[in-house]
Amino acid sequence: MRILVVEDEVKTADYLSKGLGESGYRVDVALNGLDGQHLVQEHEFDLIILDVMLPGLDGWQLLQIIRRKLQTPVLFLTARDAVEDRVKGLELGADDYLVKPFSYAELLARVRTLLRRGPPREVEQFQVADLHLDLLRRKVTRNGERVTLTNKEFSLLHLLLSREGEVLSRTLIASHVWQMNFDSDTNVVDVAIRRLRAKVDDPYQLKLIHTVRGMGYMLEAQS
Amino acid sequence: MRLWPRALSVRLAVMFALVSTLLLGLIGFSLYQSLQREIAWRDDQALLGRLERMHALLDDSQSIEALRSRPQLYENMLGNRDSLLWIIDDAGQRLIEINPTLMPLPVLPAAERATLGDSPSSEPLRLAWLDVTRGDRRLTLIAGKLLSEREQMLAAYRLKLWLALSVGAFLAFGFGWLVSLRGLQPVRQLAMRAAAIDVQHLHLRLDEFKDVSELQALSKALNLMLARLEDGFAQLSRFSEDLAHEMRTPLSNLIGHAQQTLARPRSVDEYQNLLVSNLEEYDRLARMIDSMLFLARTEQADASINRQLVDLHELVEQLCEYFDGTAQECAIELINKGSGTLVADPQLVRRALANLLANALRYGIPGSAVTISSSLYDGVVEISVHNLGEPIAAEHLPRLFERFYRCDPSRNQPDDSGGLGLAIVRSIMHAHGGQVRVTSTQAGTSFSLLFPLDSA
Repeated sequence: MRILVVEDEVKTADYLSKGLGESGYRVDVALNGLDGQHLVQEHEFDLIILDVMLPGLDGWQLLQIIRRKLQTPVLFLTARDAVEDRVKGLELGADDYLVKPFSYAELLARVRTLLRRGPPREVEQFQVADLHLDLLRRKVTRNGERVTLTNKEFSLLHLLLSREGEVLSRTLIASHVWQMNFDSDTNVVDVAIRRLRAKVDDPYQLKLIHTVRGMGYMLEAQS
Repeated sequence: MRLWPRALSVRLAVMFALVSTLLLGLIGFSLYQSLQREIAWRDDQALLGRLERMHALLDDSQSIEALRSRPQLYENMLGNRDSLLWIIDDAGQRLIEINPTLMPLPVLPAAERATLGDSPSSEPLRLAWLDVTRGDRRLTLIAGKLLSEREQMLAAYRLKLWLALSVGAFLAFGFGWLVSLRGLQPVRQLAMRAAAIDVQHLHLRLDEFKDVSELQALSKALNLMLARLEDGFAQLSRFSEDLAHEMRTPLSNLIGHAQQTLARPRSVDEYQNLLVSNLEEYDRLARMIDSMLFLARTEQADASINRQLVDLHELVEQLCEYFDGTAQECAIELINKGSGTLVADPQLVRRALANLLANALRYGIPGSAVTISSSLYDGVVEISVHNLGEPIAAEHLPRLFERFYRCDPSRNQPDDSGGLGLAIVRSIMHAHGGQVRVTSTQAGTSFSLLFPLDSA
């Protein structure tokens, strides 16, 4: 998978390219709009991450040029989260956006979602190591034993399983599980994870829910 | 083109001149009318008198012929070019005629008594006539007066009136202008005083013009406005100061910690710790900026809020589920007594209540309960969050909703809302046209959101 990052802020471009590289993507960086345009015309990318404020050719113009012939998914980054900006970006054909400052985990999650071609699979059964979740029967077992969860604990585990191996930020978890779409400064998510762990992880040898310090949580069978 | 002058003094002078002209015109017109009537009446009386005298002369004289031969009897009329006199017999013969302008003899209806009338001829001529019987002769006595002299006199009088009126209008304008200029002097003083007030001198106030009631009201209103502006300005500058201070704390943590770590080689663990600790500070800064932006947007007058019908029990239930774990950890019971509906922006109400609940859980006594209840009275929907805990000191209550206000300035917990939580609650309520209230006693602390029904 090849990703183009068009970003004039050198530090941002640098850590994006490093981070995405470590996650297994091939990354090209353009530090201004014209270079970006050139690269888009020369090569084929699976995803373009586009900063809106660019010298020379700005993000909106570049987006229009890209959309003239390509359907490559575009994720745009903006420092202004004015509604008009987001609407403009999406109207011009961008697929998603992030407002600076964004969390890296969030960016990675969006990138994965955009690269998952086609509609998301409707998975009804999840299995990670000996943990099993049945969405239809609303049943969770670990090592063959039934684990009883509250509604919200079930939603939380479902979210972690469906994004297996991805770091999920607290904000994302709060918004998916409780529809709290604002940055809350409470420890609600940490408490919920702690309680879920007490039921799903604590009694067992193999821990599946991991804390990624400073970023969020992740479910993965790490050996 | 602007027909109406800009300067208030000129406008007043114009209005003054108009009013004066109107008044002078009315007075002049009525005086003229009465003068005209008076002169006409006198002329008529003179004509009737003349008839009377002729009649008496006829009675005294032996015959018309005797009268004709003694013109000195009516000589006072001779040589007077506007007086006319005829005595005609029934055959139409002019027995006596004084007619210096050679007017044609008017044809008149018979009159037993002295009659007045205007001559139908082209020259303005006033006539009085009388039929008398002298022996066997019927005679008609006619006295007349040409009106041209009177007309000339009245015309000259009219001209004088018009001249006086125009001069009066000009004078009224001039005096009105002078008076207005003088009368508006306090307004110019007010303007000069107001011009001296700028950002550095917001504490200045306008003189209260106690002897000019209109200006007193104006200067009072302006002074009140200045007081509000000064207040808002002070709040704004205090806020910028607080903001700088609030940002300085995490930044100095970041700088200091990083410098201390880089001073000598460390283990990977130590570097990781530094980064994680930095990340926490960054998050705090990012959240603070988010909250600031949120506040700035909600406080804009045209902030659009997305009103919907909200089921209160359901909304509170969602929040209870959200805080369920945290509450259980503090051994606090969440009680949902919400009921009914509300038309409001559900996202914003949720955010406001979440901030209040987070506070209630933070300061609630373990083992007690936090109750969320709703009620409807006097056109207001009230949602209250009540918790048991140490009461908030009375001096903090009025300032609790200011940005960055902390009851205890030294306290800066990691899970602290950064001093913006309650400010956000207040701005959300303002966006809904409502308000937030707090009461705090030994019986517990209660925050109430008041939504007016009619704004929905």
